[in-house]
Amino acid sequence: MGPRFRGDDSVEDERRGNLNTADFTPATSGQAPVMLRLYLVHERAILGALMVVLFLIAWEGLERGWWAQALRPLIGSAAERWQLKPIFISSPTLVAQSAWRMYFVTGEIWRDLAWSGLGYVLGLAVAIAVGIPLGLAAGWYRRFSYAVEPLLTALNATPQVAFLPLIVIWVGTGLGARVLIIFLLAVLPIAINAHAAVRTTDARLIKVAASFGAGDWRLFRTIILPSSLPFLLAGLRLAVGRGMIGVVVGEIYGSAAGIGAMISQAGARFQTDKVFVGVLTIVAAGVILVEIVRRIERRVEAWRPPVEDTP
Amino acid sequence: MAISATLDDAGGRPRSLPARLYLAHERLAIGGGTLLALLLAWEALGRSGLVDPLFISSPTQIVKTGWQLGHDADFWNDLRVSATEFLLGYGAAVAIAVPLGLAVGLSKRLQYMLSPFVDTLNAVPRVTLLPLIVIWFGIGIWSKVAVVFLGAVIPILINTQSGVKTSEARFIRVARSFCASRGKVFSSIVLPGTVPFIFTGLKYGAGRALLGVVVGELYASTAGLGHLIADAGNTFQTDVVFFGVLIFMAAGLVVVALLDACERRFEKWRPAVH
Repeated sequence: MGPRFRGDDSVEDERRGNLNTADFTPATSGQAPVMLRLYLVHERAILGALMVVLFLIAWEGLERGWWAQALRPLIGSAAERWQLKPIFISSPTLVAQSAWRMYFVTGEIWRDLAWSGLGYVLGLAVAIAVGIPLGLAAGWYRRFSYAVEPLLTALNATPQVAFLPLIVIWVGTGLGARVLIIFLLAVLPIAINAHAAVRTTDARLIKVAASFGAGDWRLFRTIILPSSLPFLLAGLRLAVGRGMIGVVVGEIYGSAAGIGAMISQAGARFQTDKVFVGVLTIVAAGVILVEIVRRIERRVEAWRPPVEDTP
Repeated sequence: MAISATLDDAGGRPRSLPARLYLAHERLAIGGGTLLALLLAWEALGRSGLVDPLFISSPTQIVKTGWQLGHDADFWNDLRVSATEFLLGYGAAVAIAVPLGLAVGLSKRLQYMLSPFVDTLNAVPRVTLLPLIVIWFGIGIWSKVAVVFLGAVIPILINTQSGVKTSEARFIRVARSFCASRGKVFSSIVLPGTVPFIFTGLKYGAGRALLGVVVGELYASTAGLGHLIADAGNTFQTDVVFFGVLIFMAAGLVVVALLDACERRFEKWRPAVH
Protein backbone atom coordinates (compact mmCIF):
# COMPACT_ATOMS: atom_id res chain seq x y z
CA MET A 1 0.00 0.00 0.00
CA GLY A 2 2.91 2.31 0.79
CA PRO A 3 4.27 3.32 -2.60
CA ARG A 4 0.83 4.33 -3.85
CA PHE A 5 0.94 7.50 -1.86
CA ARG A 6 4.25 8.62 -3.23
CA GLY A 7 2.64 9.93 -6.35
CA ASP A 8 4.26 10.22 -9.72
CA ASP A 9 7.66 8.80 -8.81
CA SER A 10 6.18 5.41 -8.04
CA VAL A 11 4.73 4.84 -11.49
CA GLU A 12 7.57 2.56 -12.55
CA ASP A 13 7.48 0.42 -9.38
CA GLU A 14 3.76 -0.07 -9.70
CA ARG A 15 3.86 -1.19 -13.30
CA ARG A 16 3.28 -4.90 -12.97
CA GLY A 17 0.78 -6.64 -15.24
CA ASN A 18 -2.78 -5.69 -15.75
CA LEU A 19 -1.97 -2.64 -17.83
CA ASN A 20 -4.69 -0.66 -19.45
CA THR A 21 -3.16 0.92 -22.50
CA ALA A 22 -6.12 3.24 -23.06
CA ASP A 23 -5.53 4.98 -19.78
CA PHE A 24 -4.18 8.51 -19.49
CA THR A 25 -3.61 9.89 -16.05
CA PRO A 26 -3.26 13.63 -15.89
CA ALA A 27 0.14 13.78 -14.26
CA THR A 28 1.94 10.98 -16.13
CA SER A 29 2.38 10.42 -19.81
CA GLY A 30 2.95 6.67 -19.52
CA GLN A 31 0.38 4.00 -18.74
CA ALA A 32 -0.48 3.83 -15.06
CA PRO A 33 -1.50 0.65 -13.30
CA VAL A 34 -5.03 0.20 -12.02
CA MET A 35 -4.19 0.84 -8.38
CA LEU A 36 -2.49 4.12 -9.15
CA ARG A 37 -5.33 5.19 -11.38
CA LEU A 38 -7.84 4.39 -8.69
CA TYR A 39 -5.74 6.37 -6.25
CA LEU A 40 -5.42 9.37 -8.53
CA VAL A 41 -9.15 9.47 -9.22
CA HIS A 42 -9.99 9.31 -5.52
CA GLU A 43 -6.86 11.09 -4.26
CA ARG A 44 -8.81 13.68 -2.34
CA ALA A 45 -10.93 11.15 -0.44
CA ILE A 46 -8.01 8.79 0.17
CA LEU A 47 -5.59 11.41 1.49
CA GLY A 48 -8.29 13.04 3.59
CA ALA A 49 -9.46 9.75 5.10
CA LEU A 50 -5.87 8.67 5.73
CA MET A 51 -5.13 11.82 7.71
CA VAL A 52 -8.33 11.48 9.71
CA VAL A 53 -7.55 7.84 10.55
CA LEU A 54 -3.98 8.75 11.54
CA PHE A 55 -5.30 11.56 13.70
CA LEU A 56 -7.81 9.27 15.43
CA ILE A 57 -5.13 6.61 16.03
CA ALA A 58 -2.75 9.21 17.44
CA TRP A 59 -5.51 10.48 19.73
CA GLU A 60 -6.56 7.00 20.86
CA GLY A 61 -2.90 6.20 21.47
CA LEU A 62 -2.48 9.20 23.74
CA GLU A 63 -5.23 7.96 26.02
CA ARG A 64 -4.41 4.22 25.90
CA GLY A 65 -0.67 4.74 26.37
CA TRP A 66 0.45 3.37 22.99
CA TRP A 67 2.84 6.28 22.63
CA ALA A 68 4.19 5.82 26.12
CA GLN A 69 4.90 2.13 25.43
CA ALA A 70 6.52 2.87 22.10
CA LEU A 71 8.71 5.62 23.50
CA ARG A 72 9.72 3.93 26.76
CA PRO A 73 12.74 2.08 25.27
CA LEU A 74 13.94 5.34 23.81
CA ILE A 75 13.45 7.95 26.51
CA GLY A 76 12.78 5.87 29.61
CA SER A 77 10.45 7.14 32.29
CA ALA A 78 9.93 10.47 30.50
CA ALA A 79 7.66 8.46 28.19
CA GLU A 80 4.97 8.49 30.87
CA ARG A 81 4.15 12.03 29.82
CA TRP A 82 2.85 10.62 26.54
CA GLN A 83 -0.03 8.90 28.27
CA LEU A 84 -2.81 11.32 29.19
CA LYS A 85 -5.73 10.82 31.52
CA PRO A 86 -9.15 10.31 29.94
CA ILE A 87 -10.54 13.35 31.75
CA PHE A 88 -7.89 15.41 29.99
CA ILE A 89 -8.09 14.14 26.45
CA SER A 90 -10.78 11.45 26.25
CA SER A 91 -10.42 9.20 23.17
CA PRO A 92 -12.31 8.45 19.95
CA THR A 93 -13.73 5.21 21.34
CA LEU A 94 -14.80 6.87 24.60
CA VAL A 95 -16.44 9.69 22.65
CA ALA A 96 -18.23 7.19 20.39
CA GLN A 97 -19.51 5.24 23.41
CA SER A 98 -20.65 8.44 25.04
CA ALA A 99 -22.40 9.57 21.87
CA TRP A 100 -24.20 6.25 21.57
CA ARG A 101 -25.34 6.50 25.18
CA MET A 102 -26.48 10.11 24.94
CA TYR A 103 -28.32 9.69 21.64
CA PHE A 104 -29.85 6.24 21.86
CA VAL A 105 -29.70 4.90 25.43
CA THR A 106 -30.57 7.78 27.76
CA GLY A 107 -31.61 10.10 24.92
CA GLU A 108 -30.63 13.05 27.12
CA ILE A 109 -29.19 15.05 24.23
CA TRP A 110 -32.48 15.32 22.32
CA ARG A 111 -33.97 17.61 24.93
CA ASP A 112 -30.91 19.88 24.75
CA LEU A 113 -31.04 19.84 20.96
CA ALA A 114 -34.72 20.78 20.94
CA TRP A 115 -34.13 23.60 23.42
CA SER A 116 -31.15 24.99 21.47
CA GLY A 117 -32.98 24.55 18.18
CA LEU A 118 -35.96 26.53 19.44
CA GLY A 119 -33.82 29.53 20.43
CA TYR A 120 -31.85 29.30 17.19
CA VAL A 121 -34.91 29.22 14.93
CA LEU A 122 -36.61 32.07 16.78
CA GLY A 123 -33.48 34.25 16.85
CA LEU A 124 -32.73 33.67 13.19
CA ALA A 125 -36.34 34.28 12.19
CA VAL A 126 -36.43 37.62 14.00
CA ALA A 127 -33.04 38.53 12.48
CA ILE A 128 -34.37 37.81 8.98
CA ALA A 129 -37.65 39.64 9.64
CA VAL A 130 -35.78 42.73 10.88
CA GLY A 131 -32.54 42.56 8.90
CA ILE A 132 -33.88 42.21 5.36
CA PRO A 133 -36.38 45.11 5.47
CA LEU A 134 -33.86 47.27 7.34
CA GLY A 135 -31.09 46.57 4.83
CA LEU A 136 -33.34 46.98 1.80
CA ALA A 137 -34.71 50.27 3.14
CA ALA A 138 -31.21 51.54 3.88
CA GLY A 139 -30.17 50.62 0.37
CA TRP A 140 -33.18 52.29 -1.24
CA TYR A 141 -33.56 55.50 0.81
CA ARG A 142 -30.32 57.46 0.84
CA ARG A 143 -31.17 59.57 3.88
CA PHE A 144 -32.25 56.55 5.88
CA SER A 145 -28.94 54.92 5.06
CA TYR A 146 -27.09 58.01 6.37
CA ALA A 147 -28.98 57.62 9.63
CA VAL A 148 -28.42 53.90 10.24
CA GLU A 149 -25.04 53.31 8.60
CA PRO A 150 -22.89 54.61 11.49
CA LEU A 151 -24.82 52.44 13.95
CA LEU A 152 -24.56 49.33 11.77
CA THR A 153 -20.84 49.89 11.19
CA ALA A 154 -20.14 50.35 14.89
CA LEU A 155 -22.23 47.34 15.89
CA ASN A 156 -20.62 45.23 13.19
CA ALA A 157 -17.12 46.03 14.44
CA THR A 158 -18.10 45.18 18.03
CA PRO A 159 -17.90 41.61 19.23
CA GLN A 160 -21.66 41.51 19.81
CA VAL A 161 -21.35 38.87 22.52
CA ALA A 162 -20.03 41.65 24.76
CA PHE A 163 -23.70 42.66 25.10
CA LEU A 164 -24.46 39.39 26.91
CA PRO A 165 -24.10 40.73 30.46
CA LEU A 166 -26.48 43.59 29.52
CA ILE A 167 -28.94 41.21 27.92
CA VAL A 168 -28.91 39.07 31.05
CA ILE A 169 -29.67 42.19 33.13
CA TRP A 170 -32.54 43.11 30.79
CA VAL A 171 -34.25 39.80 30.14
CA GLY A 172 -32.69 37.26 32.48
CA THR A 173 -31.09 34.01 31.37
CA GLY A 174 -34.07 32.28 29.79
CA LEU A 175 -35.17 31.78 26.22
CA GLY A 176 -35.49 35.55 25.63
CA ALA A 177 -31.80 36.18 26.29
CA ARG A 178 -30.74 33.47 23.87
CA VAL A 179 -33.10 34.68 21.16
CA LEU A 180 -31.80 38.22 21.65
CA ILE A 181 -28.10 37.34 21.40
CA ILE A 182 -28.68 35.10 18.36
CA PHE A 183 -30.68 37.93 16.78
CA LEU A 184 -27.94 40.45 17.53
CA LEU A 185 -25.25 38.27 15.97
CA ALA A 186 -27.27 37.22 12.92
CA VAL A 187 -29.00 40.49 12.04
CA LEU A 188 -25.86 42.41 11.00
CA PRO A 189 -24.65 40.22 8.12
CA ILE A 190 -28.24 39.99 6.87
CA ALA A 191 -28.85 43.76 6.99
CA ILE A 192 -25.42 44.67 5.59
CA ASN A 193 -25.76 42.26 2.68
CA ALA A 194 -29.30 43.46 1.93
CA HIS A 195 -28.00 47.03 1.91
CA ALA A 196 -25.17 46.13 -0.45
CA ALA A 197 -27.63 44.21 -2.63
CA VAL A 198 -29.82 47.22 -3.36
CA ARG A 199 -26.78 49.43 -3.88
CA THR A 200 -25.36 47.13 -6.54
CA THR A 201 -28.61 46.81 -8.48
CA ASP A 202 -28.04 47.74 -12.11
CA ALA A 203 -29.07 51.43 -12.24
CA ARG A 204 -29.91 51.17 -15.95
CA LEU A 205 -32.59 48.59 -15.27
CA ILE A 206 -34.19 50.84 -12.68
CA LYS A 207 -34.06 53.85 -14.99
CA VAL A 208 -35.68 51.95 -17.83
CA ALA A 209 -38.45 50.61 -15.62
CA ALA A 210 -39.02 54.02 -14.03
CA SER A 211 -39.24 55.74 -17.40
CA PHE A 212 -41.92 53.24 -18.40
CA GLY A 213 -43.86 54.40 -15.36
CA ALA A 214 -43.16 51.56 -12.91
CA GLY A 215 -43.97 52.50 -9.32
CA ASP A 216 -41.72 51.84 -6.30
CA TRP A 217 -43.42 48.57 -5.44
CA ARG A 218 -43.17 47.28 -8.96
CA LEU A 219 -39.49 48.29 -9.19
CA PHE A 220 -38.86 46.51 -5.94
CA ARG A 221 -40.69 43.34 -6.89
CA THR A 222 -39.45 42.92 -10.45
CA ILE A 223 -35.92 44.33 -10.35
CA ILE A 224 -34.50 44.90 -6.91
CA LEU A 225 -35.67 41.73 -5.23
CA PRO A 226 -34.50 39.31 -7.97
CA SER A 227 -31.11 40.98 -8.29
CA SER A 228 -30.74 41.12 -4.49
CA LEU A 229 -31.45 37.46 -3.89
CA PRO A 230 -27.87 36.16 -4.16
CA PHE A 231 -26.68 38.80 -1.68
CA LEU A 232 -29.54 38.04 0.68
CA LEU A 233 -28.71 34.35 0.60
CA ALA A 234 -24.99 35.02 1.08
CA GLY A 235 -25.96 37.12 4.10
CA LEU A 236 -28.18 34.32 5.36
CA ARG A 237 -25.31 31.86 5.02
CA LEU A 238 -23.10 34.12 7.17
CA ALA A 239 -25.96 34.61 9.62
CA VAL A 240 -26.44 30.86 9.99
CA GLY A 241 -22.86 30.60 11.25
CA ARG A 242 -23.11 33.66 13.48
CA GLY A 243 -26.32 32.30 14.96
CA MET A 244 -24.48 29.13 15.96
CA ILE A 245 -22.03 31.30 17.90
CA GLY A 246 -25.04 32.86 19.61
CA VAL A 247 -26.45 29.48 20.59
CA VAL A 248 -23.20 28.32 22.13
CA VAL A 249 -22.18 31.54 23.83
CA GLY A 250 -25.69 32.35 25.03
CA GLU A 251 -25.93 28.97 26.68
CA ILE A 252 -22.39 28.83 28.01
CA TYR A 253 -23.06 32.10 29.80
CA GLY A 254 -25.81 31.17 32.21
CA SER A 255 -28.40 28.81 30.80
CA ALA A 256 -29.81 25.65 32.31
CA ALA A 257 -30.48 23.63 29.16
CA GLY A 258 -29.33 23.34 25.58
CA ILE A 259 -26.28 21.97 23.81
CA GLY A 260 -24.05 24.87 24.87
CA ALA A 261 -25.13 24.50 28.50
CA MET A 262 -24.54 20.74 28.29
CA ILE A 263 -21.01 21.31 26.94
CA SER A 264 -20.29 23.89 29.60
CA GLN A 265 -21.56 21.73 32.46
CA ALA A 266 -19.76 18.64 31.17
CA GLY A 267 -16.57 20.69 30.93
CA ALA A 268 -16.96 21.89 34.51
CA ARG A 269 -17.27 18.23 35.63
CA PHE A 270 -14.33 17.13 33.46
CA GLN A 271 -16.61 14.84 31.42
CA THR A 272 -14.44 15.41 28.39
CA ASP A 273 -16.16 12.74 26.29
CA LYS A 274 -19.51 14.50 26.67
CA VAL A 275 -17.92 17.81 25.68
CA PHE A 276 -16.63 16.23 22.49
CA VAL A 277 -20.07 14.73 21.73
CA GLY A 278 -21.58 18.20 22.09
CA VAL A 279 -18.91 19.81 19.90
CA LEU A 280 -19.35 17.16 17.20
CA THR A 281 -23.12 17.61 17.35
CA ILE A 282 -22.66 21.33 16.71
CA VAL A 283 -20.22 20.57 13.87
CA ALA A 284 -22.88 18.33 12.29
CA ALA A 285 -25.60 20.92 12.76
CA GLY A 286 -23.40 23.64 11.24
CA VAL A 287 -22.50 21.52 8.22
CA ILE A 288 -26.15 20.58 7.61
CA LEU A 289 -27.45 24.15 7.97
CA VAL A 290 -24.83 25.68 5.68
CA GLU A 291 -25.45 22.93 3.15
CA ILE A 292 -29.19 23.68 3.21
CA VAL A 293 -28.53 27.37 2.47
CA ARG A 294 -26.06 26.39 -0.28
CA ARG A 295 -28.71 24.13 -1.84
CA ILE A 296 -31.23 26.97 -1.81
CA GLU A 297 -28.61 29.30 -3.31
CA ARG A 298 -27.84 26.86 -6.11
CA ARG A 299 -31.51 26.24 -6.82
CA VAL A 300 -32.45 29.89 -6.95
CA GLU A 301 -29.30 31.08 -8.66
CA ALA A 302 -28.49 28.31 -11.13
CA TRP A 303 -28.53 30.78 -14.02
CA ARG A 304 -26.37 33.45 -12.39
CA PRO A 305 -22.62 33.65 -11.71
CA PRO A 306 -21.86 33.57 -7.95
CA VAL A 307 -21.22 36.72 -5.91
CA GLU A 308 -18.70 37.09 -3.13
CA ASP A 309 -19.75 37.48 0.46
CA THR A 310 -19.50 41.00 1.74
CA PRO A 311 -17.46 40.88 4.93
CA MET B 1 -17.41 78.09 -8.32
CA ALA B 2 -19.38 80.55 -6.24
CA ILE B 3 -22.24 80.59 -8.70
CA SER B 4 -22.44 76.89 -9.36
CA ALA B 5 -22.36 76.11 -5.64
CA THR B 6 -25.40 78.26 -5.01
CA LEU B 7 -27.44 76.54 -7.71
CA ASP B 8 -29.38 73.45 -6.84
CA ASP B 9 -28.91 71.01 -9.69
CA ALA B 10 -32.59 70.11 -9.84
CA GLY B 11 -34.39 73.44 -9.91
CA GLY B 12 -31.62 75.93 -10.37
CA ARG B 13 -32.99 78.06 -7.54
CA PRO B 14 -30.42 79.78 -5.35
CA ARG B 15 -30.15 78.26 -1.88
CA SER B 16 -29.53 79.92 1.45
CA LEU B 17 -26.19 79.37 3.17
CA PRO B 18 -27.43 76.95 5.87
CA ALA B 19 -29.18 74.85 3.21
CA ARG B 20 -26.00 74.68 1.16
CA LEU B 21 -23.94 73.74 4.19
CA TYR B 22 -26.45 71.04 5.05
CA LEU B 23 -26.49 69.62 1.52
CA ALA B 24 -22.71 69.53 1.36
CA HIS B 25 -22.49 67.60 4.64
CA GLU B 26 -25.83 65.81 4.54
CA ARG B 27 -24.36 62.42 5.36
CA LEU B 28 -22.56 63.70 8.41
CA ALA B 29 -25.54 65.81 9.50
CA ILE B 30 -28.05 62.97 9.36
CA GLY B 31 -25.69 60.38 10.84
CA GLY B 32 -24.57 62.68 13.67
CA GLY B 33 -28.11 63.93 14.23
CA THR B 34 -29.49 60.41 14.60
CA LEU B 35 -26.74 59.49 17.02
CA LEU B 36 -27.30 62.65 19.05
CA ALA B 37 -31.07 62.09 19.11
CA LEU B 38 -30.59 58.53 20.32
CA LEU B 39 -28.22 59.64 23.07
CA LEU B 40 -30.63 62.38 24.19
CA ALA B 41 -33.57 59.97 24.22
CA TRP B 42 -31.48 57.51 26.22
CA GLU B 43 -30.45 60.20 28.70
CA ALA B 44 -34.06 61.42 29.02
CA LEU B 45 -35.32 57.87 29.54
CA GLY B 46 -32.70 57.30 32.23
CA ARG B 47 -33.53 60.56 34.05
CA SER B 48 -37.32 60.44 33.70
CA GLY B 49 -37.64 57.46 35.99
CA LEU B 50 -39.83 55.63 33.49
CA VAL B 51 -37.18 52.92 33.32
CA ASP B 52 -35.03 52.04 36.28
CA PRO B 53 -31.53 53.52 35.63
CA LEU B 54 -30.24 50.23 36.99
CA PHE B 55 -31.31 48.67 33.68
CA ILE B 56 -30.26 51.21 31.10
CA SER B 57 -27.90 53.61 32.88
CA SER B 58 -27.44 56.82 30.85
CA PRO B 59 -24.79 58.37 28.57
CA THR B 60 -23.63 60.91 31.18
CA GLN B 61 -23.40 58.20 33.82
CA ILE B 62 -21.33 56.04 31.45
CA VAL B 63 -18.96 58.91 30.72
CA LYS B 64 -18.57 59.57 34.47
CA THR B 65 -17.88 55.89 35.09
CA GLY B 66 -15.38 55.87 32.25
CA TRP B 67 -13.57 58.82 33.81
CA GLN B 68 -13.41 57.06 37.17
CA LEU B 69 -12.21 53.80 35.62
CA GLY B 70 -9.48 55.76 33.86
CA HIS B 71 -7.99 56.45 37.29
CA ASP B 72 -8.28 52.84 38.39
CA ALA B 73 -5.17 50.66 38.15
CA ASP B 74 -7.27 47.48 38.00
CA PHE B 75 -8.98 48.75 34.87
CA TRP B 76 -5.66 49.34 33.12
CA ASN B 77 -4.56 45.89 34.17
CA ASP B 78 -7.72 44.41 32.63
CA LEU B 79 -7.06 46.33 29.44
CA ARG B 80 -3.46 45.12 29.35
CA VAL B 81 -4.47 41.47 29.90
CA SER B 82 -7.11 41.58 27.15
CA ALA B 83 -4.75 43.30 24.74
CA THR B 84 -2.02 40.75 25.44
CA GLU B 85 -4.40 37.86 24.81
CA PHE B 86 -5.57 39.42 21.56
CA LEU B 87 -2.10 40.25 20.28
CA LEU B 88 -0.54 36.89 21.17
CA GLY B 89 -3.41 34.80 19.79
CA TYR B 90 -3.95 36.90 16.68
CA GLY B 91 -0.23 37.24 16.02
CA ALA B 92 0.25 33.47 16.23
CA ALA B 93 -2.76 32.92 13.97
CA VAL B 94 -1.38 35.30 11.32
CA ALA B 95 2.12 33.85 11.58
CA ILE B 96 0.82 30.31 11.03
CA ALA B 97 -2.24 30.77 8.82
CA VAL B 98 -0.73 32.95 6.08
CA PRO B 99 2.25 30.69 5.23
CA LEU B 100 0.15 27.56 5.69
CA GLY B 101 -2.63 28.99 3.53
CA LEU B 102 -0.12 29.78 0.78
CA ALA B 103 1.30 26.26 1.01
CA VAL B 104 -2.16 24.66 1.00
CA GLY B 105 -3.17 26.80 -1.98
CA LEU B 106 -0.06 25.74 -3.91
CA SER B 107 -0.12 22.04 -3.06
CA LYS B 108 -3.20 20.04 -3.96
CA ARG B 109 -2.08 17.10 -1.83
CA LEU B 110 -1.53 19.22 1.27
CA GLN B 111 -5.01 20.64 0.77
CA TYR B 112 -6.50 17.14 0.54
CA MET B 113 -4.74 16.16 3.75
CA LEU B 114 -5.75 19.19 5.78
CA SER B 115 -9.23 19.92 4.43
CA PRO B 116 -11.11 17.48 6.71
CA PHE B 117 -9.74 19.27 9.77
CA VAL B 118 -10.08 22.79 8.42
CA ASP B 119 -13.61 22.18 7.17
CA THR B 120 -14.65 20.67 10.48
CA LEU B 121 -13.21 23.55 12.49
CA ASN B 122 -14.80 26.00 10.08
CA ALA B 123 -18.23 24.48 10.62
CA VAL B 124 -18.14 24.96 14.38
CA PRO B 125 -17.90 28.23 16.27
CA ARG B 126 -14.47 27.72 17.83
CA VAL B 127 -15.72 29.15 21.11
CA THR B 128 -17.55 25.82 21.47
CA LEU B 129 -14.16 24.34 22.31
CA LEU B 130 -13.77 26.68 25.30
CA PRO B 131 -14.67 24.08 27.95
CA LEU B 132 -11.98 21.78 26.52
CA ILE B 133 -9.48 24.60 26.17
CA VAL B 134 -10.03 25.55 29.80
CA ILE B 135 -9.42 21.92 30.84
CA TRP B 136 -6.20 21.94 28.83
CA PHE B 137 -4.86 25.43 29.53
CA GLY B 138 -6.53 26.50 32.78
CA ILE B 139 -8.37 29.77 33.33
CA GLY B 140 -5.34 32.03 32.94
CA ILE B 141 -4.24 34.00 29.92
CA TRP B 142 -3.23 30.97 27.82
CA SER B 143 -6.73 29.54 27.41
CA LYS B 144 -7.80 32.89 25.95
CA VAL B 145 -4.74 33.03 23.69
CA ALA B 146 -5.67 29.55 22.45
CA VAL B 147 -9.30 30.41 21.73
CA VAL B 148 -8.31 33.69 20.04
CA PHE B 149 -5.81 31.77 17.93
CA LEU B 150 -8.37 29.12 16.94
CA GLY B 151 -10.96 31.77 16.15
CA ALA B 152 -8.66 33.76 13.87
CA VAL B 153 -6.60 31.02 12.24
CA ILE B 154 -9.41 29.41 10.23
CA PRO B 155 -10.75 32.44 8.29
CA ILE B 156 -7.20 33.64 7.52
CA LEU B 157 -6.18 30.17 6.33
CA ILE B 158 -9.25 29.67 4.16
CA ASN B 159 -9.09 33.11 2.56
CA THR B 160 -5.35 32.89 1.84
CA GLN B 161 -5.81 29.48 0.29
CA SER B 162 -8.68 30.58 -1.93
CA GLY B 163 -6.64 33.65 -2.92
CA VAL B 164 -3.87 31.41 -4.24
CA LYS B 165 -6.42 29.19 -5.97
CA THR B 166 -7.95 32.11 -7.83
CA SER B 167 -4.62 33.36 -9.22
CA GLU B 168 -5.07 34.42 -12.80
CA ALA B 169 -4.15 31.31 -14.82
CA ARG B 170 -3.36 33.35 -17.94
CA PHE B 171 -0.73 35.38 -16.11
CA ILE B 172 0.93 32.23 -14.86
CA ARG B 173 0.92 30.70 -18.33
CA VAL B 174 2.45 33.82 -19.84
CA ALA B 175 5.14 33.94 -17.16
CA ARG B 176 5.91 30.26 -17.66
CA SER B 177 6.21 30.64 -21.39
CA PHE B 178 8.73 33.41 -20.74
CA CYS B 179 10.64 30.90 -18.63
CA ALA B 180 9.88 32.41 -15.22
CA SER B 181 11.02 30.17 -12.37
CA ARG B 182 8.55 28.81 -9.82
CA GLY B 183 9.82 31.29 -7.26
CA LYS B 184 9.43 34.17 -9.69
CA VAL B 185 5.87 33.12 -10.57
CA PHE B 186 5.04 32.91 -6.89
CA SER B 187 6.56 36.23 -5.86
CA SER B 188 5.38 38.32 -8.82
CA ILE B 189 1.98 36.78 -9.69
CA VAL B 190 0.56 34.48 -7.02
CA LEU B 191 1.50 36.50 -3.93
CA PRO B 192 0.35 39.95 -5.16
CA GLY B 193 -2.92 38.42 -6.37
CA THR B 194 -3.47 36.84 -2.97
CA VAL B 195 -2.96 40.00 -0.90
CA PRO B 196 -6.60 41.24 -1.08
CA PHE B 197 -7.80 37.79 -0.01
CA ILE B 198 -5.33 37.70 2.86
CA PHE B 199 -6.64 41.05 4.07
CA THR B 200 -10.24 39.87 3.85
CA GLY B 201 -9.19 36.91 5.98
CA LEU B 202 -7.29 39.14 8.39
CA LYS B 203 -10.40 41.29 8.89
CA TYR B 204 -12.68 38.32 9.47
CA GLY B 205 -9.99 36.86 11.71
CA ALA B 206 -9.72 40.04 13.77
CA GLY B 207 -13.46 39.93 14.42
CA ARG B 208 -13.28 36.32 15.49
CA ALA B 209 -10.24 37.06 17.65
CA LEU B 210 -12.06 39.82 19.52
CA LEU B 211 -15.02 37.49 19.94
CA GLY B 212 -12.62 34.94 21.40
CA VAL B 213 -11.29 37.48 23.92
CA VAL B 214 -14.81 38.41 25.06
CA VAL B 215 -16.24 34.90 25.28
CA GLY B 216 -13.10 33.43 26.78
CA GLU B 217 -13.11 36.03 29.53
CA LEU B 218 -16.86 35.81 30.11
CA TYR B 219 -16.58 32.04 30.45
CA ALA B 220 -13.66 31.72 32.82
CA SER B 221 -11.01 34.25 33.71
CA THR B 222 -9.36 36.12 36.51
CA ALA B 223 -8.73 39.41 34.68
CA GLY B 224 -9.46 41.22 31.46
CA LEU B 225 -12.15 43.46 30.03
CA GLY B 226 -14.54 40.54 29.51
CA HIS B 227 -14.01 39.63 33.13
CA LEU B 228 -14.72 43.25 34.08
CA ILE B 229 -18.05 43.36 32.22
CA ALA B 230 -19.09 39.91 33.45
CA ASP B 231 -18.38 40.99 37.03
CA ALA B 232 -20.15 44.31 36.54
CA GLY B 233 -23.12 42.53 34.98
CA ASN B 234 -23.43 40.19 37.94
CA THR B 235 -23.47 43.18 40.30
CA PHE B 236 -25.86 45.25 38.12
CA GLN B 237 -23.26 47.97 37.43
CA THR B 238 -24.84 48.67 34.06
CA ASP B 239 -22.67 51.72 33.42
CA VAL B 240 -19.47 49.70 33.77
CA VAL B 241 -20.84 47.06 31.39
CA PHE B 242 -21.70 49.74 28.82
CA PHE B 243 -18.26 51.28 29.15
CA GLY B 244 -16.65 47.87 28.60
CA VAL B 245 -18.83 47.28 25.53
CA LEU B 246 -17.80 50.72 24.20
CA ILE B 247 -14.14 49.80 24.57
CA PHE B 248 -14.67 46.56 22.67
CA MET B 249 -16.51 48.56 20.01
CA ALA B 250 -13.63 51.04 19.78
CA ALA B 251 -11.12 48.17 19.64
CA GLY B 252 -13.05 46.56 16.79
CA LEU B 253 -13.22 49.82 14.83
CA VAL B 254 -9.53 50.59 15.39
CA VAL B 255 -8.39 47.12 14.31
CA VAL B 256 -10.47 47.24 11.14
CA ALA B 257 -9.25 50.77 10.36
CA LEU B 258 -5.62 49.70 10.87
CA LEU B 259 -6.06 46.71 8.57
CA ASP B 260 -7.76 48.90 5.97
CA ALA B 261 -4.82 51.33 6.11
CA CYS B 262 -2.35 48.45 5.71
CA GLU B 263 -4.34 47.09 2.79
CA ARG B 264 -4.36 50.46 1.05
CA ARG B 265 -0.60 50.65 1.45
CA PHE B 266 -0.11 47.21 -0.08
CA GLU B 267 -2.59 47.87 -2.85
CA LYS B 268 -1.31 51.28 -3.91
CA TRP B 269 0.30 49.99 -7.07
CA ARG B 270 -2.93 48.45 -8.34
CA PRO B 271 -4.89 50.57 -10.81
CA ALA B 272 -8.45 51.33 -9.70
CA VAL B 273 -10.95 48.96 -11.29
CA HIS B 274 -14.27 50.57 -10.51
